Amino acid sequence: MINEDYMIIVDNVSMKFNLQIEKDFSIKQAFVNLFDPKIRKKNSKKEKDFWALKKLSFKVKRGQVVGLIGSNGAGKSTILKVVSGVMKPTKGQVIVNGVISPMIELGAGFDSELTARENIFLNGAILGYSRQFIEEKFDEIVEFSELKDFLEVPIKNFSSGMVAKLAFSIATVVNPEILIVDEILSVGDIKFQQKSKKKMLELIGGGTTVLYVSHSIESIRELCDEVIWIEHGELVEAGDPSIICESYFAAQTGLHTPEEALKIIKERKKEPERN
Amino acid sequence: MTSLKNIWFNFKRYQFLMFQLISRDFKRKYKRSVLGVVWSLLYPILMMTVMAIVFSHMFKFKVDGTNYLVYLMTGIIMWSYFSEASNSAMASIVENFALITKVYIPKYIFPLAKCLFVGINFVLTLIPWFGLILLTQFGLGEFPASINIYYLLLPYIFICFLLFTIGVSLFLSCVSVFLRDVFYIYGIVLTIWNYFTPVFYSLDILPEGLKTIFKLNPLYQMINPVRSIVLYGQAPSVINLIVIGLIGVITLLIGSTIFKKNQDKFIYYI
Repeated sequence: MINEDYMIIVDNVSMKFNLQIEKDFSIKQAFVNLFDPKIRKKNSKKEKDFWALKKLSFKVKRGQVVGLIGSNGAGKSTILKVVSGVMKPTKGQVIVNGVISPMIELGAGFDSELTARENIFLNGAILGYSRQFIEEKFDEIVEFSELKDFLEVPIKNFSSGMVAKLAFSIATVVNPEILIVDEILSVGDIKFQQKSKKKMLELIGGGTTVLYVSHSIESIRELCDEVIWIEHGELVEAGDPSIICESYFAAQTGLHTPEEALKIIKERKKEPERN
Repeated sequence: MTSLKNIWFNFKRYQFLMFQLISRDFKRKYKRSVLGVVWSLLYPILMMTVMAIVFSHMFKFKVDGTNYLVYLMTGIIMWSYFSEASNSAMASIVENFALITKVYIPKYIFPLAKCLFVGINFVLTLIPWFGLILLTQFGLGEFPASINIYYLLLPYIFICFLLFTIGVSLFLSCVSVFLRDVFYIYGIVLTIWNYFTPVFYSLDILPEGLKTIFKLNPLYQMINPVRSIVLYGQAPSVINLIVIGLIGVITLLIGSTIFKKNQDKFIYYI
């Protein structure tokens, strides 16, 4: 297999959303459509299609830490969902060679009525851990989350920071082959932020492949080997973090279009070599 | 063959999640109740008492040649299993949307967990039900119920019943994602279905023509063999046993096929 080296292969992936669906189908609408072909045509499916991803391709090697950047609504979260298997791409295919630990929106699997202890097991199960594994790692999770005194308290009485801490601890206790991270390093107080960053670095050092989405250019630069820049569901550029981050910053602050920004920054980078 | 293997592998992998979901339901159900799980036993006992008073003493219902109490209870516990399981499983996908959109989990696990959770409750209600059968041996009601070797067939019947319920639940949970109206429609369907299932009456009171139609009701086919074992001490006919097996398997196949075909679209209908 030629593809063995790659942990994630996103091949020509397009993702279509039908905005029509959101506009609830109702008897009233159906009735109107029935009698007025004009409106029916206007509401017809074709025009309401929205392509969140357009022929996007990239590959991620084993152990690589890849950052995804782009404006809000550029398709970053969509691509994470496609990679983690939550969504199936409309066109193209995604190949993933390994076990994924998704950290998209922490604590999605918590049940607020249950205690922290019960939620550790529930959420662990949702992430695909076995009972044995959770029992083994239970103390480690509790230790890391700093919530030892609140184990028997229902989650609904927790502050949002506490919930996030617990969720982070559960999600990172496993040494996943592929870690998908969507904006989570900003969790908890400063002390915990540093701790979680350290944990991330530890995982990265241990050879975990990471797909990382963040709006914090600083953390992207710090953590990533490669950055993929997406706008409007299309790949703008992929490659060296410093070049892309700078261009992205320039484009974001409204000085240039993405293409111009890239060109300028690349020129600027080359200059010192010439001198 | 590989797909079967895949299904089994997936099933094994998410077995623990299934267990967790069921235990979550239990914890939630009895949260802050003093008696807790005891309610699973107490509730059917109290229900039986009320039903017994209402139907056999106030309405003077009777089914000739049988112990009416046992007749009624057999119908009620099986009917309530079906209605409760299918009703709660129907909402299970929509309720868990928050999860489904964030983490990959095989989606069938939610309706399945609900059917099993209510199933465990059903098994618990069998205890007071059997207690009632024992009491009839000591003179409760008109006739004693029968205790016999055919009881060994009960697990088979209940498994067919479970498969049927899972099939219906998969179908409902899938359809309700696209059309939330189903929640309301099914409530009404259940009420009608309840009256068309001989839970508290006997088919014998109906004219011949209607009887045949009523026998097409899969729930009748499920309840009937249990009654014939418990009340009459007769083995259900082989045909009846084959029929319920087929009902169970075919319903499950239809339900899971529809579910499988549509599950990738769920995420767009949040």
